[in-house]
Amino acid sequence: MLHVQKLSLYQAQQALIQNLSFQVAAGEVLSVMGASGVGKSTLLTWMIGALSSAFTATGQCFLNQRRVDELPTEQRQIGILFQDDLLFPHLTVGGNLAFALPAHIKGSARQQQIDTALEQAGLAGFAKRDPSSLSGGQRARVSVLRALLAEPQALLLDEPFSRLDTALRQQFRSFVFAQIAHLQIPAVLVTHDLADVPSDGRIIQL
Amino acid sequence: MRCLSLANTNSQSVDRGLSFIAWLGVLLILGLPLLGLIPIFMVGLQAKAWQLLWSDPQFLPALKLTLFSAGISTLWSLILACALVFLFYPSKTWQRLQQQLPIFLAIPHAAFAIGLVFLLAPSGWLVRLVSPLFAWTAPPTWLTTTQDPYALSLSLALTLKETWFLLWVMTGLISQEWLVKQSLIAKSLGYSAWQAGWQILFPQVLKSLAWPLLAVFAYGLSVVDMALILGPSTPPSLAVLAWQWFADPDPIQQLKAQVLALVLVGLLVLGAGGAYLAYKFLTALWSKPSGRRQRTSVIRFLSPWFSYLLTLPFWLSLGLLLLWSLADSWFFPQIVPSRLGFATWQQAELEPLLMTLWIATCSVLISLPLALLWLEWGKQRQAYLYLPLIIPALPFTAAQYQLALLLKLEGSLSAVIWSHLAWVLPYILLVLTGAYQRLDTRYLLTAKTLGYNTWQACLYIKWPLLLRPIMAAAAVGFAVSVAQYLPTAFIGGGRIETVTTEAVSLSSGGNRATLAVQAVLQALLPLFAFMTATSLSRWYARQHPGLN
Repeated sequence: MLHVQKLSLYQAQQALIQNLSFQVAAGEVLSVMGASGVGKSTLLTWMIGALSSAFTATGQCFLNQRRVDELPTEQRQIGILFQDDLLFPHLTVGGNLAFALPAHIKGSARQQQIDTALEQAGLAGFAKRDPSSLSGGQRARVSVLRALLAEPQALLLDEPFSRLDTALRQQFRSFVFAQIAHLQIPAVLVTHDLADVPSDGRIIQL
Repeated sequence: MRCLSLANTNSQSVDRGLSFIAWLGVLLILGLPLLGLIPIFMVGLQAKAWQLLWSDPQFLPALKLTLFSAGISTLWSLILACALVFLFYPSKTWQRLQQQLPIFLAIPHAAFAIGLVFLLAPSGWLVRLVSPLFAWTAPPTWLTTTQDPYALSLSLALTLKETWFLLWVMTGLISQEWLVKQSLIAKSLGYSAWQAGWQILFPQVLKSLAWPLLAVFAYGLSVVDMALILGPSTPPSLAVLAWQWFADPDPIQQLKAQVLALVLVGLLVLGAGGAYLAYKFLTALWSKPSGRRQRTSVIRFLSPWFSYLLTLPFWLSLGLLLLWSLADSWFFPQIVPSRLGFATWQQAELEPLLMTLWIATCSVLISLPLALLWLEWGKQRQAYLYLPLIIPALPFTAAQYQLALLLKLEGSLSAVIWSHLAWVLPYILLVLTGAYQRLDTRYLLTAKTLGYNTWQACLYIKWPLLLRPIMAAAAVGFAVSVAQYLPTAFIGGGRIETVTTEAVSLSSGGNRATLAVQAVLQALLPLFAFMTATSLSRWYARQHPGLN
């Protein structure tokens, strides 16, 4: 359960978001919509703990009853997906995934888990490939796998579908939603496009 | 209208003329010395020269010393610059560091080294600070904190100075949006900023750091002014050794000096090869992440001190230079001078200052227009223009000297200015190129569609738009010229005295206050240039608020 309580975001004394509270249940995808510049992405950067110094915020964020908004990013256990896949270009596809995998998975189990994840994503045998040799859709799927292999307790999606063309978009969307449902973690999706919102998903309009 | 059409018919010949000037200038400044390297390389074919060098008892110890100080300072400045970025970007501390960065970059190596001597020497400020604890009334003679036989103080000075250079390079790299986001991704996967820095950012910026690192290593190999001030003397570093041999009229020593200059080039190639192997090894290491997330409590605890550890030596050195220049009497173990006054300043020799001003101004007045011509009518991306920044200064200067000798121009002011251009021009190009490429090409195109030729479009549109980077480049060029020791001393043959050569020669004994005055002048000149450029830029920006 992800719980944002009484969040207000200011940019140079001007309120972007005022007194926003919401809860997201495990396995649910909450969509945040609104015109550009309204503070949708800023909301996500606050939740992940990377708010730029141009902004100030008041409010609290709880993840599974644990208060996280005062923790550094790396201790929040919240994953994020951006518009760009941001795969690390100096690592192979497998290297990117191994980077995300927790250290308690050791030895051959690491490679096995990476291979299984790739296989489920329809990318069997891609571990040794360089990210630059993949298509946009394939890269997007790897970036999802990377975020999820780190075993996050929640996932934030910052318009991750907007770069893909219509055909790929539909496919990728259902892939992401299926993963979230499977892992039973709360997710917050920021988007411009109503079509991105899962069927009977809740929407917050900013 | 008639005027315009006339210009258009002439435009091709104007272009050709300007292109010719640009090429001629670059050839005279950079091409000739590179040609002059050939005879030095020919010396390398003489087995006798190598035998002479090998049998010199100073060679091997000096080689070890040089490899150590150049290698260790390159490695540490890389580590420290990266650590600064990974720990502090983009915090308040980072912004504070950024504000100090231009000052640290502007301080010439020699002035910084002299300040460090005042700080670290057995009679220096730090020893004075602790002397009450040990009841020292005279500088401890057993202490060798500067000019130590292992070149530790030289390595330390190089490390501190080059850290800021690499930080400046990294500032340009790190501000890129995608790097910031990648670091955020790594943190959201559970890694600390420190780990994200070393495992994700470092491997990626390392490639862009290759050339700057090579320049740092080359500088460490061939530095003479700093080595004379802080380095050991028996034996000295290779560059100093070669410099001493070059100064000796004995043809045998000359031969040894030339092979030694070659050895420096060889060491550079060797170092580059070693670095490449290390890079390959690291890449293999990085390719299989273990997934281990580290707790960073220790680093978090240390980090506030860490930034002071790197900035404090500069401020202390500068403060001590200033204090010494104002000290009427300052005996061991006093922590502050017992009497302050302007006596040393009143008696100070000002000819070196005027000479420095003159040389630096001429260097900029020649290099800057040439750089602008080159960027427009030459070829923009030419790696060899930056060769003087990457090959060790000693063989390059030796080649310049051979040419000056050939033309009977050694010891002349014009030859010294010409020798400075080989460093001033590349640095000016380095600063200008980025801004030049970022400028929207449609401005120039618009001007041309209005009927102006390239020359007019540059004069009226492009260069005024680029005025701020042009002024920054002028300031950098000025600072580079002020800091030159080797070409001034070598080509000038001891007859041309600048604040830099004066400060270095005064540093070997003599009056500390007199030395401090010259060092302060040397440090102030570049600072003055940067401040002028900044305030002119601000003024210009106020006049033209639309300019960014």
